[in-house]
Amino acid sequence: MKQRAVTDGLLMGFFWLAGLFILVVLLAIIAYLIWRGGPFVDSAFIMGSPAGLPLGSEGGIFPAIKGTLWLVLLALVLSILPGLLTAAYLSEYGRGGRLADIINLLVQSMAGVPSIVTGLFVYALAVVSLGWGISLLAGGLALAIMIFPVIVVSTREALLAVDENYRLAADSLGVSRFYTLYRIILPRAAAGIMAGVLLALGYAAGATAPIMVTAAAIIASSSGALLEPVMALPYHLYILFNEHISMNQAYATALVLVILLLLINILALSLHSLQERINSR
Amino acid sequence: MNAVEIINFNTYYGNKAVLQNINLGFKSDSITAIVGPSGCGKTTLLRSINRTAEMERGFKSQGDIRVLGKSVQEVKNVSAIRRQVGMVYQTPVVLPLSIKENVLFGPRYYGVKNRLEMESIVENCLRQVALWNEVKDRLKRPAAQLSGGQKQRLAIARALAVEPQVLLLDEPCSSLDPAATGLIEELLTQLTKDLCIIIVTHNLFQARRIADETVFMLEGEVVEKGFTNILFTSPANEKTRGFISGLFG
Repeated sequence: MKQRAVTDGLLMGFFWLAGLFILVVLLAIIAYLIWRGGPFVDSAFIMGSPAGLPLGSEGGIFPAIKGTLWLVLLALVLSILPGLLTAAYLSEYGRGGRLADIINLLVQSMAGVPSIVTGLFVYALAVVSLGWGISLLAGGLALAIMIFPVIVVSTREALLAVDENYRLAADSLGVSRFYTLYRIILPRAAAGIMAGVLLALGYAAGATAPIMVTAAAIIASSSGALLEPVMALPYHLYILFNEHISMNQAYATALVLVILLLLINILALSLHSLQERINSR
Repeated sequence: MNAVEIINFNTYYGNKAVLQNINLGFKSDSITAIVGPSGCGKTTLLRSINRTAEMERGFKSQGDIRVLGKSVQEVKNVSAIRRQVGMVYQTPVVLPLSIKENVLFGPRYYGVKNRLEMESIVENCLRQVALWNEVKDRLKRPAAQLSGGQKQRLAIARALAVEPQVLLLDEPCSSLDPAATGLIEELLTQLTKDLCIIIVTHNLFQARRIADETVFMLEGEVVEKGFTNILFTSPANEKTRGFISGLFG
């Protein structure tokens, strides 16, 4: 008896240590970024354009912020409808069928494709063959392909978490699956779906590989024109750091990117816990 | 003519036979109870009538079921069958909508748009299940706030709102207290006008109290069917006698 209590106690200790370790690492990263980058983040940095020689050693990152927002928005526009439809098929129409099994497998495989491979694929297809060039549109497409499986899986899970009894009761009235989906299932799952979409959005905002070869430029105005290259926060950070342009500017850029992602994730998590409260009612 | 006619009906889950050679008729304007031990196929039979049994993976059936003379097996449009054949489940299910919208869930789908018509459907159906007086002042409140017995009555009202000719109930009172059960039994006996009610129950007392006819099933087969008072007082079959003898001690 006593030995079991000791084992449980030890395990609890390990859990706490592991949790604490993660927390410390996360806080250390943020603290370090604030220490190194914080002094350089001001309104001129956020609202200004890169300047100086070499370019980026002074000035701000506004075009990169704008570019990242454009890329993420476009990725969302391109992936959300196919993602929601796929998830709706998997959870409401094809569940348990062979086709659904195959689609699940494909989506799983898509999630496993390295994002640089996705980037190269879009480069070959869109940038070169279709002649779009390095452009916002090509980058948005690459990011859309990257986050599509994330949206499918999170939406599917949110839909499947809705009480099965509602479907049973609705089916026995002879109403269509679509009617049940939009009147009952979607409203019930909305918060969870939004949380998943936001997580996917954060994932896209931080991704560098897929846009490196499809959309990103060292300097661009990021006006939102679809066939123009854009700047993007993660790529700008990569250039500042990799070309030894300015470590101060690099840390400041990293801080802005991390804060942006943290805000997105906090919003996603609060939607997620809202959904859990809805599900338990 | 019987409202529901089951002819040489067999079902399987994979290779396992569940129902074997079922031949039964269910009359309109009456309540028929199906009794029998757990696993005898009562629920499968019930769910075959509105064709929800086939939603289980590996379900197969042979033979025919006719509702008001029309074969449900051959129908392409399952929705039409399910509209004719209402179903109420063991666990009371209210949709995550208001009380009123629960009742209107079916009618709205089938094209009822007129506000007065909707209001009359709501009042009429809720009166039929003796819920109107309890909820008339809070029709727009979430149905989830109702008690278990009220939820089950609302589920019956929701089924009635699409005007079915057959109402199937799968142990509708097994999660309810005696008072709520009494209310439901009473309203069922008043609902039989133009309606064929088939109720699966574990509770032999319940079958005795409300059913005009009773079917006794054992291991996927119908052992005996007859008028309730006759089946319970002088059963023709030895097995039926054995099963109901629990009732009389």
